[in-house]
Amino acid sequence: MTAVVQTEGLTKYYGKRRGLEDLTLEIQPGEVFGYLGPNGAGKTTTIRLLLDVIRPTRGTVRVLGGDPREPATRARMGYLPGDLVLEERDRAIDYLRFLGRARGGVPAARIEALAERFDADLSVPMRKLSKGNKQKIGLIQAFMHEPEFVILDEPTAGLDPLVQQEFLALVREVRTSGRTVLMSSHVLAEVENVSDRVGIVRAGRLVAVENVAVLREKAVRRVELHFESPVPRDAFDDLPGVRDLRVEGAGVSCTIDGRPDALIKAAARFTVVHLVSAEPDLEEIFLTYYSHEEAHHDHPQPA
Amino acid sequence: MITRSLRDVRWVLTWWTAGVSAFIVLYLSVYGNIKQSPELYGPAMLAKFPGPLRDLMGGLEDMTSGAGFLQTVVYQLFVPMLCIACATLLANRALATPEETGTLELIVTLPVDRRRLVLARFAALVLSLLVLTAVTLLVAAGMVTLVSAGVPFGRILAGHTGVLLIALFYGTVALTAGAATGRRIVASAVVGVWVVAGYAVTTIGRSVEGIAWLKWVSPFHYYSSGRPLYEGLPVGDYLVLAGATVVLALTAVLAFDRRDVGV
Ligand SMILES: Nc1ncnc2c1ncn2[C@@H]1O[C@H](COP(=O)(O)OP(=O)(O)O)[C@@H](O)[C@H]1O
Ligand SMILES: [Mg+2]
Repeated sequence: MTAVVQTEGLTKYYGKRRGLEDLTLEIQPGEVFGYLGPNGAGKTTTIRLLLDVIRPTRGTVRVLGGDPREPATRARMGYLPGDLVLEERDRAIDYLRFLGRARGGVPAARIEALAERFDADLSVPMRKLSKGNKQKIGLIQAFMHEPEFVILDEPTAGLDPLVQQEFLALVREVRTSGRTVLMSSHVLAEVENVSDRVGIVRAGRLVAVENVAVLREKAVRRVELHFESPVPRDAFDDLPGVRDLRVEGAGVSCTIDGRPDALIKAAARFTVVHLVSAEPDLEEIFLTYYSHEEAHHDHPQPA
Repeated sequence: MITRSLRDVRWVLTWWTAGVSAFIVLYLSVYGNIKQSPELYGPAMLAKFPGPLRDLMGGLEDMTSGAGFLQTVVYQLFVPMLCIACATLLANRALATPEETGTLELIVTLPVDRRRLVLARFAALVLSLLVLTAVTLLVAAGMVTLVSAGVPFGRILAGHTGVLLIALFYGTVALTAGAATGRRIVASAVVGVWVVAGYAVTTIGRSVEGIAWLKWVSPFHYYSSGRPLYEGLPVGDYLVLAGATVVLALTAVLAFDRRDVGV
């Protein structure tokens, strides 16, 4: 199977300013890839290179097995720019039709269906739309021609929570149909629920690529159990992965590292009345990760 | 792509066409008075403008004949300048403005070859200027008949073809500068400097020894030295303008194809 994205040593300098340095990355078909990093990290630079808006200083980039410079390659892609600017004087529907024609024709019904899904009004001039509503138009045009590969630069910016849910549902549908999505964000929480893998870019460099499921498994989470009657502490001592154990009468609380299996089996010997497990905060893990990287890069140990 | 560009500029184009037409109507309607008393207006004009200024206006030798009047008020300065301004505006709208505002980013990701995109925008510029000059040609020809200035249609057509060519030339200069730099201000500045310098060289500069050779790089030399209103279509001169425009357009295509957009 050809990779959807295949870059090697991809580097972009804007004059002397570094945009992206030495990116080697593969994204496989059917994958949702979350591309994370703080502002100025190089996400937009990467995305513009993938779409041939800008040209690499060094390195190679192939998308869907072809060169993004070829119109035929771009015909199979959809794109939502990070700072989307729309033709102010146009009505949204006219603009979408124009984009649709340029991409080889999009059925009107499909545009309407998407507009209905996002609750977007296509009949007003686009200058009258709020930021969130413009973003909806941007999303519609990125998905309407059912591209094999959708690239979304900070797609959730300005969307209200309801539309955000609808958008995430759409991304899942795209994955189910075997197509591929790359979405960038500066907050993990926005992409972790739909992404299969996340890549973290910082100061122009890709510092990590992680599988979200693996990450979840690794995540530390806090668990509280309440039993019908007091339980003996030794029933929970020395369980694999269990730390910070506190037993107070009928209540047990601890943090678990990885799988909760051992704890659940130990608890099953008693009557459980209440169980609370906090959602693991991947954000926190990443922040920890970041600060390590930062320490590593920016403050080299004196020799 | 071409249709889309034309749609984008339809209002600007309409207003400019109306404006230039109104200008022609206004000035040519004065000719009736001049024709009735040439002995009054001719010397008065010459007296009003001192030597260099007269040069700048193209001589003013012959304000009282139909062709002379038409040449001075319509074809010498105002109408070509208005059309050049309009061409520059339209050319900037084609690439530099959308690049600066950011709308071009999505357009270049469409499955359209960049070279074809530039050619389509150039074609739209040609068509827009054709509309502008065709309408104003009819207005000029109509007014000439109305005030009985006695200039044959063929000569007006020849003069107006020059307007189209010089406007298109400078429009393409703007398009090329915009395609190469992505900056509207650069494109406008290149046109502005070249227009003023070129015009000055072919008018005031004509009589200045040291800079007379500069006329060869002035588009206005090819525009007016053939005296189309008196002598008909100056084929050679016009071909130079058209040829230069084609070379510039190809430069625009190549320049834009190599560039980072929106940087
Ligand atoms: N047009 C440009 N000219 C100069 N530097 C740029 C330009 N665009 C981006 N950069 C620089 O490249 C780096 C990466 O920017 P960008 O890719 O936009 O980051 P992100 O999208 O992750 O916020 C930043 O340091 C930014 O200042
Ligand atoms: Mg960005």
